[in-house]
Amino acid sequence: MYPDSKGYYGRYGGKFVPETLIPALQQIEKAYAKIQHDPEFNEELAYFMKNYVGRETPVYFAPALSKMAGKARIFLKREDLNHTGSHKINNTMGQALLAKRMGKERLIAETGAGQHGVATATAAAVLGLKCTVHMGSKDMERQSLNVFRMRILGAEVKEVKKGSQTLKDATNEAFRDYIQSFDYSHMVIGSVVGPHPYPMIVRNFQSIIGKELRAQFLEQEGRLPSHIVACVGGGSNAMGVFYPFLKDPVVLTGVEAGGMEIVDGKHCATLSEGSDGILHGAFSRLLQDENGQILDTHSVSAGLDYPGVGPEHAYLNEAKRVKYVHVNDKEAIEAFQKLSELEGIIPALESAHAVAYALKIGKELNAGDTVVINLSGRGDKDAEEVIRYLGGEKHGN
Amino acid sequence: MEIRDKLQELKNRKEMALIAFVMAALPDEKLCLDCLKAMEQGGCDLLELGSPFTDPLADGATIERFHHRGTARGLNLRRSLEFAHKVSDVCHMPLILFSYFNPIYKMGLDKFCQEVKSAGIKALIVPDVPMDEMKIFANTGIEAIPMVAPSSSDERLQMAAEMKPAFIYCVSVRGVTGVRSLPEKEIQTYLQRVKACTDAPLELGFGISRPEQLKAFHSYADGVVVGSYFAQLIEEYESRPALLPGILQQAVAELKAGAKA
Repeated sequence: MYPDSKGYYGRYGGKFVPETLIPALQQIEKAYAKIQHDPEFNEELAYFMKNYVGRETPVYFAPALSKMAGKARIFLKREDLNHTGSHKINNTMGQALLAKRMGKERLIAETGAGQHGVATATAAAVLGLKCTVHMGSKDMERQSLNVFRMRILGAEVKEVKKGSQTLKDATNEAFRDYIQSFDYSHMVIGSVVGPHPYPMIVRNFQSIIGKELRAQFLEQEGRLPSHIVACVGGGSNAMGVFYPFLKDPVVLTGVEAGGMEIVDGKHCATLSEGSDGILHGAFSRLLQDENGQILDTHSVSAGLDYPGVGPEHAYLNEAKRVKYVHVNDKEAIEAFQKLSELEGIIPALESAHAVAYALKIGKELNAGDTVVINLSGRGDKDAEEVIRYLGGEKHGN
Repeated sequence: MEIRDKLQELKNRKEMALIAFVMAALPDEKLCLDCLKAMEQGGCDLLELGSPFTDPLADGATIERFHHRGTARGLNLRRSLEFAHKVSDVCHMPLILFSYFNPIYKMGLDKFCQEVKSAGIKALIVPDVPMDEMKIFANTGIEAIPMVAPSSSDERLQMAAEMKPAFIYCVSVRGVTGVRSLPEKEIQTYLQRVKACTDAPLELGFGISRPEQLKAFHSYADGVVVGSYFAQLIEEYESRPALLPGILQQAVAELKAGAKA
């Protein structure tokens, strides 16, 4: 099973960080190996997952959405019902407990949409840790509600005005903070990206989604779903739901953000359009120019607005185990509206990409097919962004 | 001249090496070349030429600004290598290339190594390739310089020593590049720990900007790397380009005054 001892998934992964950070990563590796199968740690985590996060999350059959899409039955894995409103807390609670075991007093996070920042600030608050979240100026503007939430939770939100002013540069800044402070701080990476062992640790904490889904679906339907669809930015909710199904005959599809159009700087469909390269500590696929400079990206969804992707996704793409596709801003917004109207569930714009793809392929599916969409987050945070988008559309922008 | 020979020559004179980090072709090509010539005149021994990258996560705010200025002007590894050719034509200091790994990977390792050799570059510093991954450069005929830090375990120091490098880049503190005050006693102890593992020269970098710092580390390190300090001077004086080379020459000379026992 991947990764290997050096953190590689096939040819992807590894540890491409300054030597100054190696001691910190070695410490995490050691601490994680100790707690991974430690009953006491896992009981504590399970306690918080149940009583604090509110797991398990339901698997909901969406009749109206199914009817609109075609013949197949569509289900939603309701990660949007987790405390703080997305799957991100599955990982942040795990890593925050790990940080405590390592004797760290402070958490550092990078955030795009703010969901991971909020989830980290929340874990820090409940476990009595300090918290600093790095966030790009552009994201702070379009996700002001989450900025407020992080601050009220007691976290320090540091604005990153440099470069793209989005997740990419917030991540650079979080790494710089971590390099200086790993003595007493732990960097809670929010997706299955970064140097080994992060992609593995985040996947393992997130795979609670897939494990639950498997048991729930077997109980409700007496078999496994035929399709699972999840959105992919860095790829943590997708990795979490896919991982327990990798060896099963289940069609797995990752949906990236096609943005405005597939032109450099206007999308973030990394696996569909990117190439091999090194960013933020891992060898993976990324969006870059012919000289290896990292490209700016765009998505209406801040959480997908990232030029890289987790190395395990790059591996699963190359191995053709998971199919990666993209849907554009317009399709995601339409899906956002449709799911709200039809099922009374307002999805996060990130998750709306997965919904959009399920609607797109609905016509090709058969009556016996069962599709599970990992509904990774709820859409309250996106109200302003959608108002802006729809307003702009009306005015012909 | 080879790096090893240059460092040995300085060691024989009991003089610390001054390695200057300068971002390629900034503020512009001509001014940068003039600055480099002046810095060599001032006594600079080796040059670490930086290639701008969009995501320089090991660098502090000052050097990061230079990366972003460079990328905004369309500078990249290919153009930095072209610039290195020009530097080799006018300067005699052994040349080290500093680049993040992605542009190197994208260019292709074979092509990159050819270009590096033909530009007269003697070694590489690739800040996001730690020692575990440095085997990438094995058998290319191009040497990658290992870095160690105060937090490095004895095992990591041993790894650096086993590479028998032209020198070991000793990062002074936890953190990224940038001018700061340094905990001298701690750094001296750390340098002693590195020295015990290796015969390779130790070059101390991050946070160095004053001749007194060189004096303080004279018996512990074989030289220093100075980058952010020069970058700050460039930012301060670039609006008066006629003055800038002289300012840098003087800054180098002042630092070098601390390099001699």
